[in-house]
Amino acid sequence: MIAAGRLLTIGAVLAAMATNVAASAQPRPAGAPAKPMRIMSMNICTDLLVLQLAPKSRIASVSYLAHDAANTVEPGLDKGVAANHGAAEDVLLESPDLILTGSFSPPATQRLARQVGARLVLVDQAENFEQIRAVTRQIGQAVGEPGRAEALIARMDAKLAQLKASAAPPIRVVAWDGGKTVPGKGTLTNAIIEAAGAVNIGATLPDATYGRYDLEELIRDRPAALLQGISSWGGPSLQDDSSANRVVRTLYRGRRITYPEMLYGCGLPQSADAAIVLRDALRRLPKQGWAY
Amino acid sequence: MTFLDAHDITVRRGSKAIVDGVSLHCARGAFVAVIGANGAGKSTLLSVLTGLLKPDEGQVTLDSRPLAAIGARDLARRRAYLPQNPRAEWPISVERLVTLGLLPHLPAFGNLPALFTPRVVRALEAHDLLDRREQPATTLSGGELARAMLARALVGDPDILIADEPTAGLDPRHALDCAVRLRAYALSGKLVIAALHDLTLAARYATHVAALEQGRLAAFGPIETVLTPALIRRVFEVDACVGGEGRNTYVDFASDASRP
Amino acid sequence: MGLLSRAALTTAGAFAALILLFLLSLLTGRVWLPPAQLIHGLAAPKPNLAWLILSELRMPRAVLAGLVGAALGLSGAVLQGLLRNPLAEPGLLGVSGGAALGAVIALYFGLSAHFALALPLMGLIGALGACALTLSFGQGGTLTLILAGSAVSALSGALLALALNLAPSPYAAYEITTWLLGSLADRSWDHVMLAAPFILVGWVLLAMTSRALDALTLGEAQAESLGVNLNRVRLLALVGTALSVGAATSVAGSIGFIGLVAPHLVRPFVGYRPSKLLLPSAVLGAALLLFADIATRIIPTQSEMKLGVLTSLIGTPFFFWLVVRLRRTAP
Repeated sequence: MIAAGRLLTIGAVLAAMATNVAASAQPRPAGAPAKPMRIMSMNICTDLLVLQLAPKSRIASVSYLAHDAANTVEPGLDKGVAANHGAAEDVLLESPDLILTGSFSPPATQRLARQVGARLVLVDQAENFEQIRAVTRQIGQAVGEPGRAEALIARMDAKLAQLKASAAPPIRVVAWDGGKTVPGKGTLTNAIIEAAGAVNIGATLPDATYGRYDLEELIRDRPAALLQGISSWGGPSLQDDSSANRVVRTLYRGRRITYPEMLYGCGLPQSADAAIVLRDALRRLPKQGWAY
Repeated sequence: MTFLDAHDITVRRGSKAIVDGVSLHCARGAFVAVIGANGAGKSTLLSVLTGLLKPDEGQVTLDSRPLAAIGARDLARRRAYLPQNPRAEWPISVERLVTLGLLPHLPAFGNLPALFTPRVVRALEAHDLLDRREQPATTLSGGELARAMLARALVGDPDILIADEPTAGLDPRHALDCAVRLRAYALSGKLVIAALHDLTLAARYATHVAALEQGRLAAFGPIETVLTPALIRRVFEVDACVGGEGRNTYVDFASDASRP
Repeated sequence: MGLLSRAALTTAGAFAALILLFLLSLLTGRVWLPPAQLIHGLAAPKPNLAWLILSELRMPRAVLAGLVGAALGLSGAVLQGLLRNPLAEPGLLGVSGGAALGAVIALYFGLSAHFALALPLMGLIGALGACALTLSFGQGGTLTLILAGSAVSALSGALLALALNLAPSPYAAYEITTWLLGSLADRSWDHVMLAAPFILVGWVLLAMTSRALDALTLGEAQAESLGVNLNRVRLLALVGTALSVGAATSVAGSIGFIGLVAPHLVRPFVGYRPSKLLLPSAVLGAALLLFADIATRIIPTQSEMKLGVLTSLIGTPFFFWLVVRLRRTAP
């Protein structure tokens, strides 16, 4: 049974390679770039944008990691779309004509893309709203839906403008979940916090990405609220234990705002929505009355 | 009264009987030499007599009480044991080593009561170790270590001393010295049971002999009558003659005439 | 007589070092609080910043370092005396590995998220389980015991590697790894309350081996003839180690070498007597761990310097030195 399946897979791969070699030998018509018909995304952040920008019929697959995140962005966003595991077999079997992945992808992906004759687009991580616009446009261009990209960006900008007009009072917060580092000035979390109108204590740390921060500094700095990312893996972690530290439990009772980690990990137009949710939560904070 | 009795002791390893139905009656004032060829079961028998090894059959009684019924501490106070080639695992001082012999006499908590210190000093003196009392035990020569271990065994004034090859590896002077001490201790009203490989020493200083042959007791009794060439021939499979008497007894082995 | 007062002096010296390091630990942290402010904070109305940091963060951390270090030092001294082997330490008999495995299982399955006692309890179960395995397989002499302990260590190592391999996310794997490296950061009085009872009971059991360890200087046969029950001593030593080192590992992760180094440093000063070694080893172990913990906070590194890493870095050169010394003294 298993041996037969293996043989079938190998046979399919070989056949796919054969047809690809034949196909890439055919010349492409000159003129306007054709819309890619089989888009393959191998990175969770590009997945989420591709799902929002390209019609499902033209998406070959997105990475399997996107499922939980896609449902957080919009329920059913990835319904009906195949999942890939980022492996060479997936690429060879699906023979996409466009591969989207993060800029830190392994060199093997480049070779694979050449092999199947696909266009490879590397997308940087977006860490602030300016970069979100750039990345959305880039992917919109690549999948042949620039109009949709502009529409998403316009909606995002409208929300940002709304936020600017009615921001929360400049409350000091820190995204501390019991670990040893907090996000600093150059992170998406920081951009969302600032868009919501709050002040990120992590931005004052020397490190632009993640700075060292521990309980003593937390007690000294007395932020009004703690932000804590809930991972969509739902898996157990030491963070739970540490952040249940006695001191934090008493000092920050009712002052811990959770957010879906997924949405703060990828720069999307939805990051503006995240900022609005944060602002509303900050408004609901009880008045700060520190005993010390 | 002190007497140690072995009643039909049998110890088996697998199907083989290392010690086979050995019965002994030893009383105070005796220095019993246990002799036998290598593998005859001497060490095993001594372990059983000490109470460290449970025999598969039979039992050992001390003053008619089975060893198993006597508490470990009480037993430790009454009898001392020296295994083959005793060594110190840490470089503690000779004085400390000898003091260890008083462990069964110590109260549950606390250090050595002051009244025991003279006993340690006396033991050091009696075994010519006073000038070496601070020396680490691991730096002693073979003869000195043997004396120190004997001092350790005797410092608590036990009624019974069981020693396994106490003269092994000692030069003639120290071997003689050891045998002399053992005899003196026995004659002071104690029971000494020692496995000896040197038959001349046994003949000179022991009062009784127990001969083991392949786990069985070949002979047991006063050494003057029991240690005969016939017995030596039977137990060791060599010819010997026993000459002299008293302190000058000697056991001479005849060379094998068939070999150069 | 002279030796007795030397042992007492050594213990007193170790205690003095311990107190000094304890106070130093209270002064150390990422937020610099000058001593004047700390003292003022003690007197001023509570709560205030200095008092909060001192009483809720630094004090429990220092106390925990003392408890864990003492547990490691004491257990090392007992095991070295029991096995008459200068390389013995709690890790040798599989107890540390078992504790780490128990704790990692608690983390892995999220038990610690549901109730706080899960982590130390699982650590203890792991330690006691490893101890039982070692004792049952290690019947029949010291060498068999050491070999059984090695086997149990290997087993818990393999299972730990399995847990890492099957970790649900790369972040979980990273967390398990960093936890295993050992740390006392952000520990609170909760951790002290959880670990202390087991550590203290473990200490009592370990201390009860004192006389027997002295007797074992003469080897097992003579020790038995002096009335020592070898099985009872082994049980006391191992269960005592399982309880104290098990609880310590549960709250602090894997910390090695303290149990190896502390007894060695003290031994010459107590005349190599195993019974006199116990208390000074405990005190010195506590002092050494406090010192290492202070060092992790002072050494400027990009990411947090882990306690277990530091003790390993200090301990391995010591290992080499031990080998060189043994080479010189061996015949």
